[in-house]
Amino acid sequence: MKCRPSTLLSIILLLTASYQAQALNLGDALKDVVKEKAGEYINPDKSNSEPSGAAKAGDNNAATSTPAPAPSQPAFNLKNPSQADEIQLGRKITGNLLGAAPLVKDEALQKYVNQVGRWVASQSERADLPWHFGVVESNDINAFAAPGGYVIITKGLYRKLENEAQLAGVLGHEISHVVKKHQLKLLQKTQLLDFGARLLSKKLGNENQTVEKIIGSGAEVCARSLDKEAEFEADRMGLVLATRAGYAPFGLPEVLQSISQITRNDGSVALLFKTHPAPDDRLVSLGNAIGSKLDNIKADKTLENRFYKLKPDI
Amino acid sequence: MKLLNPSIIIATILWLPGLSLAAEFGTALKTDTMRSEPYADAKTTGNFARGEKLEILSKKGAWLQIKTSKNTGWVRLLSIKRGAGASGGSQISGVLGLASGRAGTGQVVATTGVRGLSEEELKHAEFNENEISKLEQHMQSAEQAQKFASQAGLKAVKFNYLPKGVAQ
Repeated sequence: MKCRPSTLLSIILLLTASYQAQALNLGDALKDVVKEKAGEYINPDKSNSEPSGAAKAGDNNAATSTPAPAPSQPAFNLKNPSQADEIQLGRKITGNLLGAAPLVKDEALQKYVNQVGRWVASQSERADLPWHFGVVESNDINAFAAPGGYVIITKGLYRKLENEAQLAGVLGHEISHVVKKHQLKLLQKTQLLDFGARLLSKKLGNENQTVEKIIGSGAEVCARSLDKEAEFEADRMGLVLATRAGYAPFGLPEVLQSISQITRNDGSVALLFKTHPAPDDRLVSLGNAIGSKLDNIKADKTLENRFYKLKPDI
Repeated sequence: MKLLNPSIIIATILWLPGLSLAAEFGTALKTDTMRSEPYADAKTTGNFARGEKLEILSKKGAWLQIKTSKNTGWVRLLSIKRGAGASGGSQISGVLGLASGRAGTGQVVATTGVRGLSEEELKHAEFNENEISKLEQHMQSAEQAQKFASQAGLKAVKFNYLPKGVAQ
């Protein structure tokens, strides 16, 4: 189903090269054109006011007429989204996700994860986002992040946790995805690919970019994998954020240990294992990054007493 | 790994919890050195190789005291995967999980028919305004979170982000 961007880009480059064979350094120029055009396409307003040389170079084979934005649909600037844009995207994605699995009906639980999550998020460089956390009714073991500060964990994963430090570690991992805009970058990449595909089939229609278009179907974006490196990075950052918040640093690795005990053929981890590197690899990667750096950290609070216990399932 | 008779697993689980207190096993996630004490500069007592099975004797901070077939010593806990490992055999890990109170019902029997979040379900999900508004109502401010943290004596500490590590 998925194409690597480099593959698609090279197909575009090859095809186009056949009719503009004389030009030197065509590769880079076209790469720029594609990027440029993708930006225009996503944000037509901007392209109209800022014609560029690179864009002109692509006129032979690309969209010569950039569609004018329909007045009723505001153009969405995915190329360089504002914080408000990010939140708008994240709200839509999370709303879709909640359509698949609603929040656990337990006000105290929801408040508790927001308290822990907000405190961990406050240790990040995006402390100013309006952070939202929720536990959803699902036996799957998984957690999700969406642009703009939305973090969801499943009841199945929550049930695996033993203390507040572990919760902080898990939320820290998801917060890091938001801080690093990993999901946003994934969406941007997809749009660029989409643009490339239209370029190939010359089917650049008079369509405007809407939030729905960017996200795709339902919450499928939540089922997509990020780069392995993005996951390792979120593990390192998540551990650091929880540590900065004063928790015992090993909450996240403990949860990874716990997840690594679950057999791969258990359906509750199918999506998690499909979209993430193996827990063992994550543990090794974390271990290599930590080395002796935690030797002098005094933080040791795990707070199992305060950890909110789920009500038993009926 | 092949086919485990569920009734055997359940019988084993019912019978084993007491035993798991006696010994916990683990697998080396990487090749590493053991030390006589839980400190980086303590003298070495031996080595183990990635994949080696070992026994976990005790834990102190970020260190585990372990016993290999040849030696005993301390090693950083992230070098060890606790439990015999799901990749090897699901039986023992399942038991350990349950014994430590971690396992839900989903541990042994795959959850089917219960609400899940499969790719298909995510793809067909429809926006739920009611639920997203509820989520938003639970928001906590930075100040509220700060207060919540201090109630448990949590204090923010300085700690730099970790650069990507080098495989050792």
